[in-house]
Amino acid sequence: MFGIFKELIVSSGLVSLTGGNLIMWLVAFTLLYLAVKKQYEPLLLLPIAFGILVVNLPLTFLMEPEHGLIWFFYHYGIENDIIPPLIFLGLGAMIDFGPLIANPKTLLLGAGAQVGLYVTFFAAILFGFDLREAASIAIIGGADGPTTIYLTSKLAPQLLGATAVSAYAYMALVPIIQPPMMKLLTSDHERKIVMSKLRPVSRLQKICFPIISAMTIMLLVPASAPLISMLMMGNLFKESGVVERLTKASSNELMNIVTIFLGLSIGATMTASTFLDPRVLFIFFLGLFAFVVSTASGLLMAKFMNLFLKNKINPLIGAAGVSAVPMAARCVHKVGSEANRRNYLLMHAMGPNVAGVIGTVVAAAILLKNLG
Amino acid sequence: MHSMTDWSKVLEVFGSGIVGVYLVMILLQLLTQLSTRIIDMVENGKTSGDAAPQPPGTDVKGKV
Repeated sequence: MFGIFKELIVSSGLVSLTGGNLIMWLVAFTLLYLAVKKQYEPLLLLPIAFGILVVNLPLTFLMEPEHGLIWFFYHYGIENDIIPPLIFLGLGAMIDFGPLIANPKTLLLGAGAQVGLYVTFFAAILFGFDLREAASIAIIGGADGPTTIYLTSKLAPQLLGATAVSAYAYMALVPIIQPPMMKLLTSDHERKIVMSKLRPVSRLQKICFPIISAMTIMLLVPASAPLISMLMMGNLFKESGVVERLTKASSNELMNIVTIFLGLSIGATMTASTFLDPRVLFIFFLGLFAFVVSTASGLLMAKFMNLFLKNKINPLIGAAGVSAVPMAARCVHKVGSEANRRNYLLMHAMGPNVAGVIGTVVAAAILLKNLG
Repeated sequence: MHSMTDWSKVLEVFGSGIVGVYLVMILLQLLTQLSTRIIDMVENGKTSGDAAPQPPGTDVKGKV
């Protein structure tokens, strides 16, 4: 009896547990708490946290190349660039480009916010990361999870877990991180600027936009094709109004399915040996820096545009140039309405917000072209 | 680590990145403005064409 018990213990994962595993369990439980109790990006954080937990149970070999179950999800879904473009398909089917079409100037705010990303690229190199790692860290500033995963899996797969969790964590923390920056970089008078109502956008204009955008962006930056083609096709599904089933499938069923595999695979990359590296903590710090600088550069871009515009824009909407859709736009609206109760900035901020999605993909594609 | 950094490559990535993003977004802005203006013209033309006064004698209500 004792022999059987002893054999059971010896063959179990218990004897192979390391201190690193225990620390990773703590990380997993923290993320589970944030997802379940605080509801910070639960759709992603919950499968990520569970992925971390199971991959840090010894002898499960879930990430063993060619054998482990989650390795297959990771290999075929992420390493082969399947999942991030599918997420973009669903995103496209949910996004409304109407506010952007009504005020195309806001595309410049989407570009402005990407400056922060390149500043972080520079900073990461100064702190000792190589070029490919620096690019993967910098893209966190775009606050776009799928783009961060797409770029990191190509340039620095060893940092995938850290950059992905960092990107999603900061996206969830938009309401905490952005308002102080907004208040710091804008005057009370600027925050009170009321913007005139957006002009109506016709159905034909909404149908033409994804086609024109896809052609323009992919012709200029072919490396953006996997993400932009899916984003714009999803949007074309939605705006055409003739493929309701495909729109629904893209934005609901498909999106939900790939989200499960994405989260689980990302979490499973975070083994003790890859994650417990002092540089990972530094990635979280640089990710925060990237996000703050991107917010600031979006705000400053809006202020710069106001120097030339007859009808001034509320510079707060520049902060929505990071692509955390729609949290950043909601945050802008909240800060704007606190300054002036008559201010209704949500739709105005949605323009730069969706422009930020495009801008981040373009920035990632250019980084990929230069460093891939 | 720093001594191994290819600073000319860093500056190239930094510069071409910022310029590239702005270039794409400005072009997209111009094309969006142009296309919406053309569509507005076409749609307004259609609407005004539909609402144009009928030639005398073709108004059914008028005949009644």
